[in-house]
This record gives sequence, structure tokens and C-alpha cells, in this order.
Amino acid sequence: MRYCKELFPGVFLILSLLLFPGQVQANGDEYIAIRKEGSGKIALVLSKPVASGAKESGWSERLDAETRSGLDFTGLFSLIPPPLNVAGPRGASSQAINFGALNSVGAEFYAGGAVVRKSGNVLLSMEVYDTLGGRPILRKTYTGKESDLRSISHAFCADLVELLTGRQSVFGSKLVFVSNRSGFKEIYMCDYDGHGMRQMTNSRSLALTPVLSPNGNYLAYTEYASGRPRLSIIDLAGGKRSSVARSGNSIDPGWRSNAEVATTLSFQGDQEIYLVRPDGTLARRVTNSRGIDLSPSFSPDGNKMAFVSSRTAVPQIFILDLQTGQTNRLTYNGNYNTQPSWSPQGDKIAYSSMEKNGEINIFTINTDGSSLRQLTSGTRQNESPSWSPGGDMIVFTSSRQGQKKLFVMNAAGGGQKRLLQMEGEQMQPSWSLKVK
Amino acid sequence: MKHTMKGLLALLLMITAGCSSKSAMAPTDTADTYTPPEAPSGAVVSTPSGYGFDEFQTGPLGDVFYEFDSSELSADAEGQLKQNAAWMGANATAATLVEGHCDERGTSEYNIALGERRADNAKEYMVRLGVPATSIETMSYGEEKPFAPGHDESAWSKNRRAHFVLK
Repeated sequence: MRYCKELFPGVFLILSLLLFPGQVQANGDEYIAIRKEGSGKIALVLSKPVASGAKESGWSERLDAETRSGLDFTGLFSLIPPPLNVAGPRGASSQAINFGALNSVGAEFYAGGAVVRKSGNVLLSMEVYDTLGGRPILRKTYTGKESDLRSISHAFCADLVELLTGRQSVFGSKLVFVSNRSGFKEIYMCDYDGHGMRQMTNSRSLALTPVLSPNGNYLAYTEYASGRPRLSIIDLAGGKRSSVARSGNSIDPGWRSNAEVATTLSFQGDQEIYLVRPDGTLARRVTNSRGIDLSPSFSPDGNKMAFVSSRTAVPQIFILDLQTGQTNRLTYNGNYNTQPSWSPQGDKIAYSSMEKNGEINIFTINTDGSSLRQLTSGTRQNESPSWSPGGDMIVFTSSRQGQKKLFVMNAAGGGQKRLLQMEGEQMQPSWSLKVK
Repeated sequence: MKHTMKGLLALLLMITAGCSSKSAMAPTDTADTYTPPEAPSGAVVSTPSGYGFDEFQTGPLGDVFYEFDSSELSADAEGQLKQNAAWMGANATAATLVEGHCDERGTSEYNIALGERRADNAKEYMVRLGVPATSIETMSYGEEKPFAPGHDESAWSKNRRAHFVLK
């Protein structure tokens, strides 16, 4: 009876779900509160969608496999094999679900449903139950073409994760990164798990430090095609490409909003960070300090900017309040702290720190300088941290296997694993918010 | 007029090449207020066998080298830049691109910024010696185009450089 203490919010949640099914995602926080006493992963029984007919059965297999691999990727779930007697002949209907059997295998939640064909399209109806109360917490139908089985599965995964954690999921998010696979460093984009890989640049020189705008409409990066590093911005919908028409060099962009990207420019002599519009025109300068100012990363509201500066001789991370103009030093541990990444929840900054022996490790620190935490150690160079949309995972580059490859871990440093299989080196990953 | 000044600069450098005093040079912004620099003892205009040249330098201008995470000019670097300035003075139509480079240690973005400061400091020094700022461009590759492929200090020391390319 570990849920007893906090059962009441859960009851209200379930009632509100029944009354206002569209509100399920907004109430996710309460569900995670219910499960706080449970340790570790969410115990879920996922049944293959009920299907009749050969075509529908094939869809069901694919939907089940995609859902399983998607949920497994999040590291949030322990997927328990469905007991043989979980569902009666009526399939996913609540009366037919054997909650006794589910409880006996330790399941906290049960998800099942049915897939049918309607006008040639796939129609997946899913239901999720809290096995203790036996009440539905999610009922939703997902439709799409036969070629959309993966995205149909991921739409369900997204709803489930967002309901149970109150955070944005990885489903639908994109990764952009650099790879030298072609012999040149070029920008690539793929889904969170490496699916749907696309080469985005063909500079045949150097294309570095890609980052997508929050709405996913623009890709900003630094490119050497003109002979010097320049900020380039691609409008992904129209394919139009803009660059900053200024002399000097540009380094490492970071989006403040959909309307402004910050980058280091040196056309006035010293390296300073400027805000640039997606068409390449300058909005304004935001730093004014002799020496290196680099690698802007913004708070979710866009009011504060973390960046690297050498103003205290060695690189450290600073936070500029754009409203007051005040700059505060954030990092005091170590002599080489770079690559800040502001978490989507706004409370933490991930960064990399080089140690005397040349090892590079990823740390997180609260924006007030408290709670310094080391997430990697003893595995050569671990760099370029970037948060998942929900802030529960971090993608990074590691040379632990020799060549630089992409890895993910959870926000506490657990569950470190290789992200994708690809030739050559991969580096400088940036995880987008959800892209439509 | 600019060309005349450059020729004059080369002549002055040649005349003062034998001096060995270490007095500080006078920082100046333009060639109009130019003060002849003190060239290092016995220095001559660079040749491919002179100071600072290695297999990665193919032009008449010598590269300069830096300490880790530093863009400060060493005495050796200043000596080389004086020779480079003299050559630029003697070749008034020449223009150069200075590429900043770093060793592989540290992070890529920061190294691009550091490499740019290395190139900028080299340029600034030569401009103070009277070379027109418009004849020197700077850019940075950071750690992206190392000269020596190794992973030890002997490679790293070659990769921390401002590399001069004639345009």
C-alpha cells in the first residue's frame, strides 16, 4: 500500500481525466508525485494491440515493437511481459482486464489497445490503466498512414511519458550534430534515436556547432565555406540560407528565441556576443569585455545568458542578466570550463570541464552556483552536453571508445550509452525541443 | 604613398638589423607615426632555413608559436614577427592571411576563439611595426587543422601557432 499516503491527489487526477480527457498532460506532475515512493523505473505491462486480419496483425507487431523501443530509450520504464491471462476476449475493454494478474507481476500501469483499418489508414486506440485502482488514466486514438507506424507509436509514447512524468518527452525531438563521415565535417540531423538521418550541409570545408531554433524552423551553424568561419542560418521550410554579412569571424551560435540567435562576432575587433535575426541582420551586441566571450546558452525565458569568458584569464562560465546588464561568474571549480547548456526547466546548467590530465568531464550546476555535480569520469573526453526537451537526459560527445561518438545519459549521469551507429566521428550534438 | 612608406620601412629595418638593444618598441597605430623597431640581434629577413620554419611553412613569412591556452607573444614570436614585418615592408604589394591554430586539447569552440586571438595578436604586433592593417587578415581554425598529427607535446607545440599564408 505504498500509494496510500498520496492517493487523494491521484483520485482527483483520475476524476479530472475522466471529466476532461484533453487535460491529461497538464496533470502529469501529480502522477509523478504518486509514484515518488516507488524506487526507480515505472513498471509497465504493454500488450500488443489487438488486431484482426493479416494486415492489421502486421501493423500491430510494428506498433508494439516501435512503442517498446521508444519507451525503452527513455530509461524510465521497466517493461514487464504481459501475463497470459491479462486480457479477456473483449480485448482492451476495461471490464475484461485482469488487474489481479497485473498486480501479481508487479505492474504499476497497463497499456493496451486495438488497431483497425479505416479508409486504408491505421487507427490505433490505446488505453492506459493504473493497475492498483484499475481505472483508465489515458484513452486516446491515433491515426495515420501505413507508412507512419513509427510516428503513430511515438505519439502514444509521448502522451504516456508526458502524463507520467509531467515533462516533455524525447518523441518528436531532433538531434543535430557534426560528423566527418564524408571526409569533411558536415551537419547531420536525425530523430532522437538516430532514425531518419539527413545530411544538412555540403560545405566540403568545415561546418560546426549546429543548433535548431526552439520551434525547429531554423538551423544555425558555423561554416568555413567562404574561407573563414561565418554564421549560417537555414530556413528549413523554405531552404533559404542567410549568413552574417560582416567582416571578421563567427563562432558557436545559441538561440535565444525563434526570432534571435546569439553568436560571437569579431568584426569590431574584439570577440563579443551579438544577437542576430534569422535573416542574418544584427539586432544588438550583448557583451562588452576584452577577451574571449563565447558559446551563448539562454534560460528558457530568454532573459539570461550563460556564456564562456576568459575575462578572468582562464575560461569560466558566466551568466549575463539581459534585463539588468549584470554579469556574474558561475563556475569556480577547475581552470577550463566551457560549453554551457541551460536546462529546459531553467534550474541547471550543464558544462564541460578539462582537468590537468587532459580528461574532459561533464558537470551540472544550479544557476545560483550550488549543487555542483560531476556526471562523467575516467572516460577520456566527454564534451558538448545538450539537454533533452524534458531535461531528463543529456546527449554528449565521448572519446571513451577511441573516436568521438555520441552518447546519452540521464540528468544524474546514470545509464550512459552509445546513441547511434555511424561511420567516422560524431560530435557537437544539440537536442532540439519538439519539432513538428 | 602607401608603397613608399612600406619601402621606407624595409630600408629602416635593414639599417637597424645589426642593433641588439632590447628597448621596447613604441606602439603606434599608423605608418605615419612609425618608429623603427629593434630587430633581434643578427636577424635577417626570413628564409626557408631561418628561424621558425618547419615543413609546414612554405612561404616567406615565418609562423609563430604559443604556450597552451595562451595568445601571448613570446620573445621568439616577437623576433619572428619583426622579420615578417620587414619582409612585408620590402614587398609592398603583399597581403597575408594569418590563421590561428591550437593543439587538440580543450574544447573545439573555445579553441577557435583562442586561435583567433593568437592570429589577432600577431597581426596587432606587425601593425604596430608599421605594416598596414589592411594587408593582414586573420581567421582561426582552432584545433580543426592540426599540422603535426601526434598526441604529445612535440606535436602540440607545433600546432599552437599563427600560420602565415601569402594571399
